[in-house]
Amino acid sequence: MSTIILGLLLGLPVAGTLLCAVLHQRRILETVTVSVGGLTFLSALWLVAEVMQGTTISSSEGWLYADALSAYIIIIISGSALVVALYSTGYLRRQIRDGKVSDRQLWLYYLLLNAFLCTMMVVLLSNNLGFLWIGSEATTLATAFLVAFYERERSIEAAWKYVIICSVGIGFALFGIILTYYSALHVVPGSGNALNWSSLMLVAKDLDPAVLKLAFIFILVGFGTKAGLAPLHTWKPDAYGEAPTPISALMAAGLVNVALYSLMRFYVLVNTAVGGTYAPTLFMVFGLVSMGIALPFILLQKDFKRMLAYSSVEHVGIIVFAIGIGTPLAYFGALLHLLNNALAKMVLFLTAGNVRLAYGSRLMRRVTGAIKVIPVSASFLIVGVFALTGWPPFGVFISEFTIVTAGIDRGYVVPVIFFIAIIAAVFVGFIYYTSRMVFGEPNVPVTGGEAEPLALWVLGLLLAALLLLGVYLPPPLEQVIENAARVLKG
Amino acid sequence: MIPVHLPLVELLIDIFAASILVTAFLIVSSRSLVFYIRLFALQSLLLGMVALLVVIGYGETHILIAAILTIAIKAIAIPVVLTRVIERIHVQKEIRFRMSITASLMFCGGIVILADSVAQSILRSPHAEASAVTRVLSVSIAMMLIGLFIMMTRQKALTQIIGLLTMENGVFLSGLSITYGMPLIVEVGIFFDILVAVLILGVFVFRINKTFESISIDSLRSLRH
Amino acid sequence: MATIILLSFLFQIILVIALAPLVTGIIRKTKARFQHRRGATVLQPYYDLVKLMRKDVVVSSVASWLFHCTPFVVFSSMVVISLLVPTVVTPVPLHWVGDIIAVIYLFALGRFFMALVGLDTASAFGGLGSSREMSIASIVEPAMMLAIFTAAVTAGSTDLSVIVDRLSTTPASMLNPSHLLAFAGLFVVSLAETGRIPVDNPATHLELTMIHEAMILEYSGPYLALIEWASQVKLVIFLALMANMFFPLGMATTWSPSALAVGAGAFLLKVIGLALIVALVESTNAKLRLFRVPELLVVAFILSLLSLILYFIVGA
Repeated sequence: MSTIILGLLLGLPVAGTLLCAVLHQRRILETVTVSVGGLTFLSALWLVAEVMQGTTISSSEGWLYADALSAYIIIIISGSALVVALYSTGYLRRQIRDGKVSDRQLWLYYLLLNAFLCTMMVVLLSNNLGFLWIGSEATTLATAFLVAFYERERSIEAAWKYVIICSVGIGFALFGIILTYYSALHVVPGSGNALNWSSLMLVAKDLDPAVLKLAFIFILVGFGTKAGLAPLHTWKPDAYGEAPTPISALMAAGLVNVALYSLMRFYVLVNTAVGGTYAPTLFMVFGLVSMGIALPFILLQKDFKRMLAYSSVEHVGIIVFAIGIGTPLAYFGALLHLLNNALAKMVLFLTAGNVRLAYGSRLMRRVTGAIKVIPVSASFLIVGVFALTGWPPFGVFISEFTIVTAGIDRGYVVPVIFFIAIIAAVFVGFIYYTSRMVFGEPNVPVTGGEAEPLALWVLGLLLAALLLLGVYLPPPLEQVIENAARVLKG
Repeated sequence: MIPVHLPLVELLIDIFAASILVTAFLIVSSRSLVFYIRLFALQSLLLGMVALLVVIGYGETHILIAAILTIAIKAIAIPVVLTRVIERIHVQKEIRFRMSITASLMFCGGIVILADSVAQSILRSPHAEASAVTRVLSVSIAMMLIGLFIMMTRQKALTQIIGLLTMENGVFLSGLSITYGMPLIVEVGIFFDILVAVLILGVFVFRINKTFESISIDSLRSLRH
Repeated sequence: MATIILLSFLFQIILVIALAPLVTGIIRKTKARFQHRRGATVLQPYYDLVKLMRKDVVVSSVASWLFHCTPFVVFSSMVVISLLVPTVVTPVPLHWVGDIIAVIYLFALGRFFMALVGLDTASAFGGLGSSREMSIASIVEPAMMLAIFTAAVTAGSTDLSVIVDRLSTTPASMLNPSHLLAFAGLFVVSLAETGRIPVDNPATHLELTMIHEAMILEYSGPYLALIEWASQVKLVIFLALMANMFFPLGMATTWSPSALAVGAGAFLLKVIGLALIVALVESTNAKLRLFRVPELLVVAFILSLLSLILYFIVGA
């Protein structure tokens, strides 16, 4: 049974990639990608049902492994992949019609989209921390050409920065993993298992704390770079800004969570081995610094997608900060925020794509009066911004509120005050810019029209989900998150 | 896996490790892109030799494939690819430096001392005797930092790739030194990733050259905020 | 005892002083071969010296006493050094006079007089040569000291004879990485000290690039012969230092004829081998522009520094 589920989760994207590699017709590519997204999402649901009770499953002699934490992230990733696949069909058709994308680029797009999903699955399903690393580096490589997709100067620059910075970061992470392996080599029976998460956790208390402390620094730098923690976030606005909008959405909703997942795994390991406040303090500091650094860039931004990228830096900061608080409630809040942030980011990136299609510009000052031109997308945009910046009754509010409560419970009053202040300031910036985009009169003749109905329906559904999460947490979801939080506790 | 005491093997490992460090310094001291590539090839060859020596001297046969891959991919394939890139883009020299060569060399000397203190703190752990080649850990950490340093102070896109690869070599050497390398299948995956990364970066160098008519990353300045 | 001391003096003097022009000849011949020329015979430097000895000295009217005494100071300092450096047999003849530090100071003495004399005749080229020589020396000397001291640290003594003895008893430490690096550092330093490519070109009189040749431009006749000879000796001394401070294989420790023969043979082989390497380096490299020279010397300095660091990291 477990072999089938894990095999499906990994095999479906692989099959999709291979199919896209050999097939070139637009319709087939679209069908393959959407069905891979859909089937993966269904398999993810199945996986969640299996590990609902806090059990773990593994297969292939322990190479593949899933527990509540990975299942939870997998469901976010595969769901995002499905949404992005659906949205991409319409988006790319428009771009082909406008002559911005060639047939060869279209093929490359779908091929790499599937490969991207595939590499993320490798990270999430690997039991072996070495494979987790290989998958992480592969996500960078799979998305490199997607960031450079439009082959303009700026996109090549962004892609170059992206690959170089992430590879350097992840290189440090590899050293951290080697150090972990070193500390485990003589503790774990059978050196072949010494990198396996399932065997490491059994002996975590016997690992050498001094070495693990050092390893954790390298790993925090490495996977922090991939997640976009300040000060190693500099690739993020470029890559998000230059990639095709659906890809930016998948990076913001998927890739970030994959990187955070890797960070969490090591956090648990180091926390169990070292104990005390070592890892939590580092997380809180990096989280707050990320939030603080993102703030001025959000307030002084010209480009909406880059603003969203900085918002992503901020929200990664929020999640990492929450994990650093280190109480079950905080873990719960962090994990819930993972989902809420992914939903809100997708809504906003994809509506940004609609605006882009209509106005043909990425600069916020060129976009005014959107409500008169593309009323549905414009209202999604403004509602999405309220949702993202943490207004009730949306899900983000609930998760941020949970985190604040957990922080105060733990006695971190001053950090929490900073936390709230930054969130409030970010809200001001976002509302200022989006209200100018949405309201007023269109100042340029607008050529494009509203996005196609399918895309709008998807967006509406996402917003509805955000709203639902704000007022009511479905018990199965609550249970999954609670079990995942238990994994975080170690 | 009882370590066989082979003074000759130990001596050769020391010599090769020192030579690897020297190649890193020579990269820092030079300006010619072709020279960078040759030095990197030499560095990887020496790294492969160290791995082979670990196989011969300590019976760690699982590294054999990693050693062969190091020589085949890093010492032959990647330098060939990069040389092709250079031939096509007609850029030969690193011209402007963020730090003069003299200062860079001094700085890298400091890096080695820092790396040694980090290495010592790692080796202070109770399983310090886990491997017989822990002595080269300082060299490997120094390599990582020097690779990073090269990337930070040099501007040509190709030099950045060389810096990244130097760093990767350092990481590989560190694995070799404290844990006799990672499990084979992981090692193979890492090699694959590195190869793909270099190919992708090589394509980008072409494109940067085409769109910017130079491969200095200094011209990559439009994205700032 | 007295005869032995006398013998050892003679031995060193013959080997180092008398063979020096031959080594230069070999280097020139090799370089010629690399350039597909037949080149002059390896004995040509001897002929040149003899020819110069026979000629008159032309002295500038503004030259002072320095001009007359410098050739002798330079040559005699080289003679003294050649008695301090281990060649065939240990202990060296003048080992009670001083150690490696004395060698470094004696080199500096010769250099000091050369630089003065470059200024003495008030020719533009001489001044240029002196200033270049001194600015390069200010970087060469630390690098040289560092390289030599690393060898001294490994052996635990600055006495050249002791260094050689320690190394001979533990041959494996000759291949110690820090030892090899110090050797590489000293090799680069030697190229600079003896005015070879890529730092200086011993064959050029092209005014813009020369260093050593510029300082001695005013000399002629026997004076020039002495200075030329001294610099040939200097080259051999450096080769001997590199050969024996780092690879003292085959060195004699007793005065038995067989040991001496082996020692002399090993010494000749090593020096000629190193000379061939120098010729190879000179043939395959271009002279560096003057302001790039410090970079090369910093490389030498860093090599020596690395060797010292490695000595403490890896251990001897």
